Amino acid sequence: MKTRSITLYVNGEAYSLNVAVNRTLLQVLREDLGMPETKYGCGTGECGACTVVVDGGKSILACLTLAATMDGAKITTAAGLEKDGKLNPIQEAFISEHAVQCGYCTPGMVMKSVSILAKNPKPTEEEIRRELEGNICRCTGYVKIVQAIQKASEVMASTR
Amino acid sequence: MSSRILPEFELLMPQSVPETVEILAKYKDQAAVMAGGTDLLVLMKAGVKVPYVVGLSEVSGLDYLIYDPVEGLRIGAMATLAQIVDNENVKKNYTALWQSACVNGTPQTRNKATVVGNILRASPAGDCCAAVLALGGTVILQGTAGKREVNIDNFWTGYRQTARQAFEFAVEYKIPAKVGKSAFKRMTRADQDLSKLNAAVSLDMAGNVCQGARLAMGCVAPTLVRMKKAEEIIKGKEITEAVLKDVEAAVKADVTPIDDVRSSAWYRKEVAGVLVKRTIEKALA
Repeated sequence: MKTRSITLYVNGEAYSLNVAVNRTLLQVLREDLGMPETKYGCGTGECGACTVVVDGGKSILACLTLAATMDGAKITTAAGLEKDGKLNPIQEAFISEHAVQCGYCTPGMVMKSVSILAKNPKPTEEEIRRELEGNICRCTGYVKIVQAIQKASEVMASTR
Repeated sequence: MSSRILPEFELLMPQSVPETVEILAKYKDQAAVMAGGTDLLVLMKAGVKVPYVVGLSEVSGLDYLIYDPVEGLRIGAMATLAQIVDNENVKKNYTALWQSACVNGTPQTRNKATVVGNILRASPAGDCCAAVLALGGTVILQGTAGKREVNIDNFWTGYRQTARQAFEFAVEYKIPAKVGKSAFKRMTRADQDLSKLNAAVSLDMAGNVCQGARLAMGCVAPTLVRMKKAEEIIKGKEITEAVLKDVEAAVKADVTPIDDVRSSAWYRKEVAGVLVKRTIEKALA
């Protein structure tokens, strides 16, 4: 087949699509569904800018995933984290800890953070750094990003 | 050719192992099997032409990772590196494989990349490849006429070439139960790079005496290779500083690395023996 009919569940909404099989999940999200929050960085799995979360906790790279192979998958992007107009604690922490500079890596960083805290609600600094190794920030450094994830971890624990 | 756009191809999405085998029997070397896709899609973006991509994500029952103290470890074709990293039995009993999976790629790629895919890629730099060569085992290949097993010692036949026939589907990698103490080590410029040199060892120890060893190295030949001369040196001996010095010298004499983007032949040859020595020390620590 050259095209395939699939249903993607993105941020809780179902989308029935007929996609060309050579289109990546990233292209379909950005171009077909008009959701530009997931970024294109390197296209070869090095940078993590296109990180999305599938089925509630698993981080994958949208640039190395064929949309046609994702029939029925539940995908969360950075724009799907807010609830009733309120940002997710991870997003709040990225703001309060100034973990954003140019912002291009941020959606990928935030989605990776979602998967880190889904699996391990109280990660150590070292665990956070290890898990973030596939997300590259070229502006500055990782100190504030790590602090933001620690802050989010505390906030989420206290409101649980 | 672009890292953004994939060339055109036909996608086939089999729903079962027999259906996958039928597809491979029909399309043979025109088809590329895609498990996680973290490697194949990068190659295709770089211009490798694949007329038919056979996606495995809807073939159920292949993502198993089964450990049995007698039978050993069975790794299904869709078992990911993340599953290896999260598995206590692998960490304890197949330490080299666990250590190699922990540093292979990034957390995101490990969520999709598979051990069997890493073996099939047959890159001389494959981290999990070094580990499975040191641990030993067999690749299980299924064709329309039935299954056969190929020992990992004979599986890589050349640079990016394997003993798999184009019509065969690699369904599993199987590692024996008794593999001894093992470890993996590698050298990279930065943490998530491909290895410039990697090594894995498995040591059958009786007290301080090494009864047998499998010493595997990557990035020093067209395929992963065992350091057979060094294995002979260490066999039957207590592992002392003097023995390790001999191992180091034997490895250095045995490797035939090349210059490439990640390192030079000269440097690789200089440090190969040191890396094997340190990997042995890591296994015994």
